[in-house]
Amino acid sequence: MTRSHAITLNAVGLYGIACVLAAAFGAQLWLNELPCPLCLLQRIQFALLAIGPMLNVRFGPRPSHYAISLLTAAAGAAFAMRQILLHIMPGDPGYGSALLGYHYYTWAFIGFAVAMVLIAAMLLFDGQFSNDGAAQEVPTNAFVQAAVWLVIALTALNVVSTLLECGFAACPDNPVDYQLLKRGG
Amino acid sequence: MEFTGLFLAITIVMLVAWLGSRTVAMVLFAVTLIACVATYLHHATDALQLSF
Repeated sequence: MTRSHAITLNAVGLYGIACVLAAAFGAQLWLNELPCPLCLLQRIQFALLAIGPMLNVRFGPRPSHYAISLLTAAAGAAFAMRQILLHIMPGDPGYGSALLGYHYYTWAFIGFAVAMVLIAAMLLFDGQFSNDGAAQEVPTNAFVQAAVWLVIALTALNVVSTLLECGFAACPDNPVDYQLLKRGG
Repeated sequence: MEFTGLFLAITIVMLVAWLGSRTVAMVLFAVTLIACVATYLHHATDALQLSF
């Protein structure tokens, strides 16, 4: 795999992360399902997962960039597993609605596990690291730039959304309305 | 409030990773990841409201 192929695949990965963040927003806005604290923490890990690919598309692929994504995915999987285990008792309906039979935190666990496998698969291709040395910026095209700014915009929207949901206090365990809008109204 | 701060921190790390220095981005990433794990551990030690 060449360096440019790896950069393209990293940009595709950024679009994948953008899809996950957009889908979470979709459930929040259209189904009016506000994320709980653990749900927010998993969403945060998906956003953090984008830092490695961003560094790869700007400075070129490096093992350390993949390593930070692996660490993030491992933490995200642990957070999602914690929420799965909280609802594992027979008769527990789980938190929120289910999509294709799985709750969002189960999908999050699957997503982080898939991310770990894909990152490990990318690390198999040594050819992408052939130009490894001092951090040199890589020329980017519109496809890559759009992916980066899309993820940044979705993360910035999450800042606003979380501020509206939690206000300036601790987030409620089972949020049903936006704290800041309630105070304003 | 802490989650708003974490999302804001990640937005800043992303902007640094895309527009600024690689080393600064890596350091900020490490600080943010540690803050995420600390937030998780803080919530994980809450007493669980079990119904059985």
